[in-house]
Amino acid sequence: MFKAIVSASTLRDSLDAVSVLVDECKIRLNEEELSIRAVDPANVGMVDLTLEAAAFESYEADGGVIGVNLTRLEEVAGMANADDLIHLELDEETRKLHIEVEGLSYTLALIDPDSIRKEPDIPDLDLPAEITLEGAQLNRGITAADMVSDHIRLRVDETDETFHIEAEGDTDDVDLQLESEDLIALTAGPADSLFSLDYLKDMNKAIASDAEVRVELGEEFPVKLHYEFAEGLGTVTFMLAPRIQSE
Amino acid sequence: MQFAAFADRAAELEAEPADLETVALVADLLRDAGDDIGTVARFLQGRVFPGWDARTLDVGPALCYEALAKAAGTNVTADDVEERLADEGEIGTVAANLDLGGQQGLGAFAAGGDAGRDDPTLAEVDDELRAVAATEGDGSEDTKLATLFGLFSRVSDAEARYLVRLVLGEMRLGVGEGTVRDAIAEAFDVDPALVADALQVSNDYGRVARIARDEGEDGLRETSLTVGRPVQSMLAQAGTVTGALESWDEVAAEIKFDGARVQLHHHPDGIAPPDADREPAPDDPTVRLYSRNTSEVTDALPEIREFAEERLDAPAILDGEVVAVDDDGGPLPFQEVLRRFRRKHDVDRMREEVELELHAFDCLLDGRDGTAGTDLLDEPFRERHGHLADLLPEAASEVLYSDAAEAIEAFEQEALSAGHEGIMLKRPDSAYTPGDRGQDWLKRKPDVETLDCVVTGAEWGEGRRANEFGTFLLAVGGDDGYETVGKVATGITDERLAELTDLLEPHVVSEDGQTVEFRPEVVFEVGYEEIQASPTYGAGYALRFPRFVEVRQDKDPEDADTVERVERLANGGVDDGADADADDAAADGADHGEAPDSAAEN
Repeated sequence: MFKAIVSASTLRDSLDAVSVLVDECKIRLNEEELSIRAVDPANVGMVDLTLEAAAFESYEADGGVIGVNLTRLEEVAGMANADDLIHLELDEETRKLHIEVEGLSYTLALIDPDSIRKEPDIPDLDLPAEITLEGAQLNRGITAADMVSDHIRLRVDETDETFHIEAEGDTDDVDLQLESEDLIALTAGPADSLFSLDYLKDMNKAIASDAEVRVELGEEFPVKLHYEFAEGLGTVTFMLAPRIQSE
Repeated sequence: MQFAAFADRAAELEAEPADLETVALVADLLRDAGDDIGTVARFLQGRVFPGWDARTLDVGPALCYEALAKAAGTNVTADDVEERLADEGEIGTVAANLDLGGQQGLGAFAAGGDAGRDDPTLAEVDDELRAVAATEGDGSEDTKLATLFGLFSRVSDAEARYLVRLVLGEMRLGVGEGTVRDAIAEAFDVDPALVADALQVSNDYGRVARIARDEGEDGLRETSLTVGRPVQSMLAQAGTVTGALESWDEVAAEIKFDGARVQLHHHPDGIAPPDADREPAPDDPTVRLYSRNTSEVTDALPEIREFAEERLDAPAILDGEVVAVDDDGGPLPFQEVLRRFRRKHDVDRMREEVELELHAFDCLLDGRDGTAGTDLLDEPFRERHGHLADLLPEAASEVLYSDAAEAIEAFEQEALSAGHEGIMLKRPDSAYTPGDRGQDWLKRKPDVETLDCVVTGAEWGEGRRANEFGTFLLAVGGDDGYETVGKVATGITDERLAELTDLLEPHVVSEDGQTVEFRPEVVFEVGYEEIQASPTYGAGYALRFPRFVEVRQDKDPEDADTVERVERLANGGVDDGADADADDAAADGADHGEAPDSAAEN
């Protein structure tokens, strides 16, 4: 059983975070919250999203799992204005999701959840450095890196207590240095990893510029990016596997 | 088996020039393959799916290069990959030098420890490639790209060489179908002929290798056609009626339909989809239809499916042609069938526009004895056609068994008058050989050449055609006026006959009973099967199986062909005098083989 009413902007923020990595996903309809965990087809990027029942106008669910075509669901949500309410109701018989937006009803055929790529078991990585910054700052670093390279290096200088977003191109280099006073918070530790810029760019798209982003970083380890949306009732964690740094 | 181990063996095979040694190496590999034997047998030939399963990765070179570039070292683009390919000439070598594996996967950190490369097993590579094949719809290119990127990121340089070739379906190991067949026989000490038979009916090297190993010769003998696993269609060569009669004594002649080849599979318990890997469920369709290349086309042809569902009770595999028909049931050109074949959208609307009919001409499996079906491949055509006529009389082709050229000619004329393409000639006691373009099935050779002949006479028709000319006397230019060379009555529709009568009647100079004589005014373009020396006609030669092609409005009688050219053609000499129109006839006779999915043709 699943029946919910949610604002279009909240639904869209949720879907956007997931759709940067996958086209289809499993949605867990728990009693207290809705959650999505998905890994991209290359097994490189993962998203873990939770949206509490309180983020909905109304929410009833009893723990089922549905598989959805995200692209299609996003299109339907796109038919609404930001403050419109979207009604969602699962038809258990036909395994279809009924969606209503301002007089428009849409019946979405669901996907067999077992046919969706299984996410790997990810242990709690204990990453030594933690940087908290604004979405706009991260965005600035990524935009700069994109000018010169398809890879991006995230690094903490323990001595100077600074966070660096760097990129090395064939001819040009960039380095965005953020001092601890530029940052919301910094826990320095040995942290230096290289990532595919494509993935980080996609993840960055989902992060609002005024969001507080908490970055967990290690040496040659996956990075975790945490942020909140829907007034703190929704949380997203992205995890991205590193590239091996040559030399 | 790790994919790395497979890549090592592949490298050995690639380096081995001798055929016998290659077979021995493949045999060793099959013996060592364990549970992966099926995958190994397929991968060696650059295949992910068995022959009966028409799924493909649907990955073009551009997408593959992009995935390689993503997985390569820093700042490598798809253009760089193409440039290297232009230098190296071979994608495997390029991939092996791209320094792939920079991107780690999350799976490498799952153990919590330090990440090493997450080396894939052969089975994991197979799973990922099957996932690529299963990706469709919006954003499928991105998903395929990401999946391949993930896979390329997990392999060593040596593995990359063979992985990329596998993705593009060209292994270049010097391991052909014959090599794998012989290696299966050698590895498991079974009769190569039994392996060949099992391969023919199963169309699945992996399955046959497994059966040879686990069940030996008995298992191979029991391997038979299975409903839901299509085999390649038997194909025909071009041939002549005279040639067929000489070699076979008797000929089975059938109408050649200008349609799309289909293999119809029926099972009353339902047929599971190829990717389901399970027993049939109640929801599974009881009829599935495949193109001659074993692609499934069931959804595009609902009326054929319904037709068969209503009439068939027992398991069966039938071979036939789907033909578009007009409101009166007359055949429409092949292009009309193509509008329906392999269509995914608007099937219902197209069904209204183009009506399709099934013309079945062979039966490969008959399950009326209560079994899963008796394999009829080795039965003679005459027997198989008998099964067909019993199973589905409404759609079974009409067959003329004859040893008389005249009877076959009349049959052809009837077929042509009804608007069909021509006739097929089959050896009545021949077996069904899947995928084989053998000598047992012949399409009556399309006219290789045409002659422009002057019409010098005609005979009035009979019965309802008593007011029209029926047969036309043809002549070519000789030293002394026009010399006759044959009569044509074939290839003319009723409508056309009336036009020709109107055209020629003003030129009648004399009439004697049924026979009339014309002033030489009108030129016919006429096709033929061959030219034989003959005392019957003034030219000293006769056209065999002459066929009306067109009235040459643009030609005067003096422009018509000559006895000299007829003589040259009869002697098989170089025909430097052939006019350009001959090419048209040759083109008309060409296969529809280049059409999408090579749908058509017997």
